[in-house]
Amino acid sequence: MKPAVLWRGGSLVALVAVAAAVPLLNNPLVTNVGVFVLMYVGSAVAWNIFSGFTGYISLGAAVFFGTGVYTTALLTEHLKLNGGAVFATYPLGGLAAAVIAVPFGLIALRVRRHTFVVVTIAFFFIFQLMAYDFSWTGGTLGILGPIVNWDPNTFYNPFYYTALIVAVGSAVLAWAIWGSRFGLQLRAIRDDEDRARGLGVKTMRVKLTAFVISAFPMGILGGLYFFLQGQALPEYAFNPFYDLTLALMSFLGGFGTLSGPIFGALLLEPYLGYAQYQVTNAYVAEVVLGALFLAVIIFLPRGILPTVGEKFTSWRVAWVRRSAGAQAAPAEPAGASPAADAVKTGAAGSGAPGGGSQR
Amino acid sequence: MRRPSARTALCAAFAIMAASAVAGCGGITATGSGNSGTLAGPTGKPITIGFSEPLTGAFQTDGEASLKGYQLWAADVNSHGGILGRPVKLVYLNNNSDPNTTTRTYTKLITQDHVDFVVGPFSTLLTKPAAQVAKQYHRAFVEGSGGGVSIYTLGYDNLFAVSAPVLDQLAPFANWVKSLTGPNRPKTAAYAMVSDPFADPPVQFAQGILQKAGITTVFNDANNAINGGAKPLSPAALTAAIKATAQQVAAKNPDVVLLGTVDVPSLATFINEFRALKFNPKMIIATSGPDQGQTFLSAVGNGNSTGIMVPDGWYGNFPDSLNHVMVQEYIAKYGGTAADINADVAESYSSGEVLADAITAVGLSQQKIITYLHSGVVLNTVQGLAQWGRGPGGVNLKSVNATSIFQWQNGGTRFVKVLPLGGDAVTIRPVKPAWVG
Amino acid sequence: MGTFLRAVTDGVLEGGVYGLMAVGLTLIFGVLDIINIAQGIMVVLGAYLTYVLWTHLHIDQFVGLLITIPAMFILGVAVQYLFIRPLRGRERTSMSLLACYAVAIIIEGVLYQIFGSNYVSYTDYWTSPQATVEIGGYYLPYIYLFGFALAVLFVVLIYWMLYRTQFGRSIRATMQDHTAARLIGIDVNRVAALTFGIAVAVTAAGGMVYGTTTAFNPNTGYDLISRLLAIIVLGGMGSIGGALGAAVLMITVESLVDVYWNPQWSVVVFYAVLVLVLVFRPQGMFGRKEARAQ
Repeated sequence: MKPAVLWRGGSLVALVAVAAAVPLLNNPLVTNVGVFVLMYVGSAVAWNIFSGFTGYISLGAAVFFGTGVYTTALLTEHLKLNGGAVFATYPLGGLAAAVIAVPFGLIALRVRRHTFVVVTIAFFFIFQLMAYDFSWTGGTLGILGPIVNWDPNTFYNPFYYTALIVAVGSAVLAWAIWGSRFGLQLRAIRDDEDRARGLGVKTMRVKLTAFVISAFPMGILGGLYFFLQGQALPEYAFNPFYDLTLALMSFLGGFGTLSGPIFGALLLEPYLGYAQYQVTNAYVAEVVLGALFLAVIIFLPRGILPTVGEKFTSWRVAWVRRSAGAQAAPAEPAGASPAADAVKTGAAGSGAPGGGSQR
Repeated sequence: MRRPSARTALCAAFAIMAASAVAGCGGITATGSGNSGTLAGPTGKPITIGFSEPLTGAFQTDGEASLKGYQLWAADVNSHGGILGRPVKLVYLNNNSDPNTTTRTYTKLITQDHVDFVVGPFSTLLTKPAAQVAKQYHRAFVEGSGGGVSIYTLGYDNLFAVSAPVLDQLAPFANWVKSLTGPNRPKTAAYAMVSDPFADPPVQFAQGILQKAGITTVFNDANNAINGGAKPLSPAALTAAIKATAQQVAAKNPDVVLLGTVDVPSLATFINEFRALKFNPKMIIATSGPDQGQTFLSAVGNGNSTGIMVPDGWYGNFPDSLNHVMVQEYIAKYGGTAADINADVAESYSSGEVLADAITAVGLSQQKIITYLHSGVVLNTVQGLAQWGRGPGGVNLKSVNATSIFQWQNGGTRFVKVLPLGGDAVTIRPVKPAWVG
Repeated sequence: MGTFLRAVTDGVLEGGVYGLMAVGLTLIFGVLDIINIAQGIMVVLGAYLTYVLWTHLHIDQFVGLLITIPAMFILGVAVQYLFIRPLRGRERTSMSLLACYAVAIIIEGVLYQIFGSNYVSYTDYWTSPQATVEIGGYYLPYIYLFGFALAVLFVVLIYWMLYRTQFGRSIRATMQDHTAARLIGIDVNRVAALTFGIAVAVTAAGGMVYGTTTAFNPNTGYDLISRLLAIIVLGGMGSIGGALGAAVLMITVESLVDVYWNPQWSVVVFYAVLVLVLVFRPQGMFGRKEARAQ
C-alpha cells in the first residue's frame, strides 16, 4: 500500500504544481481560460459533494453562485472597494451562499429525487427574477465593478490563484468527507434512503449539511466571477447553463466519484471555450456535445473514469496473472460492500479516495 | 481495483491539463481571417484590423450585419488604394454573444494575432468587455454599436463612439411636441417600457423634456418596468406583462403614448391591446418595432400603422454622398433595396471610416491616434459628422447627425422621415387616425 | 368584460395549451418513471415544423398537424428505443435525465443551425387582426379558442385511450407496477415506446398553438420545460388530470397577478406557488401520498 499512497500523493502534488505554474507562461489568454477551468473544477467538485454523494441532482447551484456574485458586487459598490480589497469579500460571498442554502435546503429536501430537481429549478428562477426585478440589484443594467489598471499580462493571475485555492480546497474537503462517517452516511442515502433512515441516519440533517457545505465554494467563486467580469448581470450571475454544465461535467467524469468532476471539468470547459470561438460551427459544437454525451451514456454509463478504470484494472489483473503466474495475489476484492452496510458495521474510513465502492 | 483507478484518474488529469494548455496557447487559431478583397491596388504588408462579432447566439443577426459593415468598408478601402498605400486585412472571431468570450477574443487578437488595431463588436453588452481589454493594452478603440448608457459611464479615454447615443433618440420628437400650439398640443402623456437598456433611457429622457414643457404624466412605469427584452422572460410572460401594462395605460386615456419597446412582438402586443380596448391616443411613438417594415405591418395590420412613429439613427436613404456609395455597394454585393439595410452595417462602416481617417492623418501609433481624435477634429462618416469631446464621464461623441424620427403614413404604404422638420423631411401627420379594426 | 373575467379567460385558455404539453410529460413519467427534459425543445420543434410547412408549402397550421403529429410520434419512439431503453441498473433514472438532456441539446443545436437565434412568429390568417371575435367589448383571437378546443380534444382522446382500450389498460397496469405488468404478459418495452411516442406526438399540437400565439426561438425550450416541470410536480407527478388542472390554475394565477399586482412578479409568483404548495403537500396538489417516492 505504501508506494501507492506515495505515488498518489506525489501525483496530486505534481498536478497542483503544474496548475500553479500555468500563469508563468505569461499568456493572459491561457490564464483567462485557466481561471474558468478552475472555477468549474471547484464548482463541480462542490456540486458533487452534495449531488454526487447523495444522488440528489440539483439544478439550482447557480443560486449559490449568483448569491456570491451579488454579495461581492453590493459590498464593493457600497463600501467603494477597489483592487485587492475586493478579494477580501469573497469569503462573505461564500458565507451568504451557505446561509441561503439553509432555507433553500429545508424546503427543497422535503421531497424525493425527481421532485427535488424541479424544486431546485423553481428556486433558480425565483432568484434570477429577483435579481432582475429588485431595484437594489440594478435590474437589467446590473452593478458595475471597479476598474483596475493592472498589467494586462498578469491581470488574471490573482483570479487564477484564488480559483486554484478554492478548487484545491474543495477537492480536499470532498476527499475528507468521502472517507468520513458523514461521507458514508451520504452514500448510504444514495444507495437506499429508507434503509439508511432505518439504520439510524438522520437523513434530513445529513443532506442539509452537505447541501450547505457545497454552497460555500460556489459563493466564493461567484464573487471572483463578479470582479473578473467587472459587472454583475442577472442572466450571467444566475445562469442556467452553470447548473447544467456542472451536472454534465460530473456525469462525464463519473457521477459521485471523487476525481470524476475534476476530470469532467478539465475536459469539458476547454472544449466549450474553444467551441465558442468557431465562426461557422458553434452550433455544430453543441450537437457534437450532445452526441458525445449520448455515447458516454450508452457505452460508458457510469462516466469515463470509473469505466475506463475498471477496464484498466481487468487488463492489469490479467497481465499480472500472466506474467507472475498463479502466485500473484488478486489486486483487490472486486466490488467493496455497499456504503449502507459499511454504516451498519461502523466501518468508517474504509472507502478511501477512488475506492472500490465508487460508482 | 483501488490503486489503478486513482492512477488512471491522475494520468488522465495530467493529459487533459496539458491538452487544455495547448488549446489555450495555439489551438485556438484565428478562425475567420477575413476576406477583404485584396485584389485591387494596394500592396505591401496589410494593416490588420481585429474584432469579434456575435455570429452565434442571441445577437446573431446583428452580429452578421455588423460584420458585413466592416467587410464592405474593407473592400471599399482596398479598392481605393488602401490606407497609407497598404491594404486592410480583417481578422475576426466569433464571441457567441457572450461577454467573457468577447474578453478572450480581444485578448487573443491583441496578444497572439498581433493585430494593428481593434474595433468594436455589436451591442453594448459586448462592447464593454472589448473596450476593457483595449484599455488594458492602451489601444485606440473605435466602436459603432455600443450606444448604451453604460458605455458612456466607463470614462475610458481610448474609447470613441461613432454612433448617436441611445439616450437622445426620442429628443427630436419631444422637442417637436414641446413646440406645438393649439388643439394639436397634447396635455397628457403615458410612458410605458420594457426593462431594457435600449428602451428605457430614451423614453425617460423624453419624459424629462415633456414634463418641463408642462405635459402631465398620467402613467409612468419607469420604476417597475416590464421585465423583458433580455433572455429571462419568455415571450409568453412578456406578452402577458405588456398586455397588463397596456390596460393600465388605456385606463388613463393619455393623448401621447411613448413606448420603450425592443422589437415587433413587444410593440404589436401594446398596439393590439390598445385596439382591443378601443383606446385611440393622438400620438404613438415606440423605440423599436415600426422600423421593421413588412413584419411590423403584418403584426398590426396595414391600416393601423398610420401615424405611428419610431426613431432611427441611420437609414438607407440618408442624404450623404459617402452613404450613397456604401448603399450602392451593399446592394451590389448582397441584393435588396436601401430600406433593407440594417443600421448595424452603417455603424461598423463608420467605425472603419473614422479609424482610416485617423491613421491617414497621424500614422499607426495608438497614442497619436488617441490624441488626434481628442483634438476636436471633425470627421465625416456615413452616419454624418462626428467629433469627440471630454464630457463629465469621459470621452463623448459631441456631434453626429441628429437622430431622425420616421412615421408610417397612408395605410402602411409610406414610411418616411418626418423629424427634425425641414431638409428631406416629409410633412408630419400630427394626429393618428382611429384604429381601423 | 370585466378585468377579472378577462384575466381568468386568458388564463384558462392559455392554461389549456400548457396542459396539453404537460400531459405528455406526466404520461412519460408515470409509465417510464423518467423525466423527459427534452419535452420543452420538442414543443419548439413542433412549432418550427408547423412554421416550415406554412412558409414553404403554405399548409395551414391546423391541417399541418396531420403531418407533424406522426412525425413527432416517430421521433418519440426512436428516442425511447435508441437512448432510453438501453439504460439499465440503479442509475437508470439519473442517466435517463441526462440522455433526454443530450437529446435536447442536439435538437437545439440543429434548430439553431437551421433557423438561427431570431425569434420566429407566424404571419398568416390566424395571427391577423381579422381572426378575432368580439366578446364583451374585447377582441379575442380565434386561435386561443381553437387552441383550447384542440387541447381539450387531445386530452379527451388520451383519456379515452387510457380507459377504453386494451392498450390503455396495459399502460395503466405498467404505471401501477412494472414487474406485475410484465408478469401478466404485458410487453412493457412496447408500452414504454408507444407511450413515449404519444407523449411526444402531442407536443406537435401544443407547439403549433404555442407558436401561433407567441414568438419563439430555439432557446424557448428552456423556459417551457421549467414551466411544464413545475406544472406536473404541482399536479402530482404521473397524474394526467392533475397536470391539466395545475396548468390551468398556474397560468390563471399568473394572469391575475399580471392584472392585480404587477406583471414583473407574475413569474416569481408562479414558482413561489410551487414551492409553497410543496412545503405543505410534498406529493403535489393532486398526487397520491408517496405514490412514487423515488
